[in-house]
Amino acid sequence: MQHFALEQALNYLIQTGAINLKPLDGKTIRFSLKDLPLDVNFICTNDRIFAVSDTGQHSDVNISLNAGVFFALFKGEDLTDLLRQDKIVTHGDVKTAQLLVDMLQSVDIDLEEVLSQYTDDIVAHGVGKIAKNFKQVVQNSSNPIDAIKDGLSKLMITPVVSKLYKNKHH
Amino acid sequence: MDNTTHFGFKDVATKDKQNLVRGVFDSVASKYDLMNDVLSFGAHRLWKRYTIASSNVKTGDKVLDIAGGTGDLAIAFRKKVGESGHVILSDINAAMLGEGRKNLINKGVFGVDFVQLNAQFLPFADNTFDCVSIAFGLRNVTDKDQALAEIHRILKPGGCLLILEFSKTDSEFLKKFYDFYSFNVMPALGDLIADDKESYQYLAESIRKHPDQETLKNMVLDAGFGFCEYHSLSGGIVALHKGIKV
Repeated sequence: MQHFALEQALNYLIQTGAINLKPLDGKTIRFSLKDLPLDVNFICTNDRIFAVSDTGQHSDVNISLNAGVFFALFKGEDLTDLLRQDKIVTHGDVKTAQLLVDMLQSVDIDLEEVLSQYTDDIVAHGVGKIAKNFKQVVQNSSNPIDAIKDGLSKLMITPVVSKLYKNKHH
Repeated sequence: MDNTTHFGFKDVATKDKQNLVRGVFDSVASKYDLMNDVLSFGAHRLWKRYTIASSNVKTGDKVLDIAGGTGDLAIAFRKKVGESGHVILSDINAAMLGEGRKNLINKGVFGVDFVQLNAQFLPFADNTFDCVSIAFGLRNVTDKDQALAEIHRILKPGGCLLILEFSKTDSEFLKKFYDFYSFNVMPALGDLIADDKESYQYLAESIRKHPDQETLKNMVLDAGFGFCEYHSLSGGIVALHKGIKV
């Protein structure tokens, strides 16, 4: 089911122009996280991405890494350096892997804008603020997963409350 | 070449199956939606919603819905492709297609084309569609391999096939309940609501004769699709197979 969610999210980003898929058109990338149950083929074709669990078929490149290394890539770490340090294992076309990394590093979405279509502005603003800080937090942290956990805990402890909402109930 | 095939649990001449299936759907067409809601407790709407969400169809796409019947999928696809896209609702059965046309008009959905066709001989050029769907129709096709090869031919590279169909459950408990329900309750409800016990007996039998998830996945791959995966829904009572042409 996580493939379905990933596919939906990626195609949403393509549709909104946050991801440019053109350089990866026609490529199939097998992507697996060693420490999390994620093993998926991303098929980039026809201006969209399919995320399928069928990993028995040919892919242009296989990328295998830990979740922490994935976040390191996300915060701008150089792919070649990570390859040299054996933190990423790739089989196949490294150029395709580099294109994927470039795409990940270029993702830029205004989550507040997106969320405001589905929730009220207060909630969208709260979540958007956290998201805006997310990349910065990840970049400044030596342990990105802990940073995310901290962020989520903070959100749970201090939920965003609207004054308008309060007035409705008093 | 084997010249017999199955029609439910019966063996019939291959050339006769199409007419027998037509007879079933001529008989149930007018009550089809009502019976779907009653027999599945409304779950067919959720299965179809999941199918649409999995399709990756977007504005401007060309979509063919085979065995589209009363048009549930076509209506949803029409919304997704917008004015610049193109949706064709097709069915081998004229009565079902007529119900589909009526349904779309009643719901104010326009811009969908209707084509009566046999899935084994699709009257479209190679590489035409971004998505082809067939929901609860493949098990009624006489030569499924030929139909899958035809769908592969008319899909564009990167196009997506969606097969929503009854399948096999792994749960022993669910299997026992489902067998009782299929062979006792479904025909009885068919008799009561649609005055047609035999068609719903055929429905139960045809489900049992349909290939299981893995077999159908291999059939899709054998038809030339580069990738195929399936999602079992409602404990495997239904499965959505998704094939990608590369």
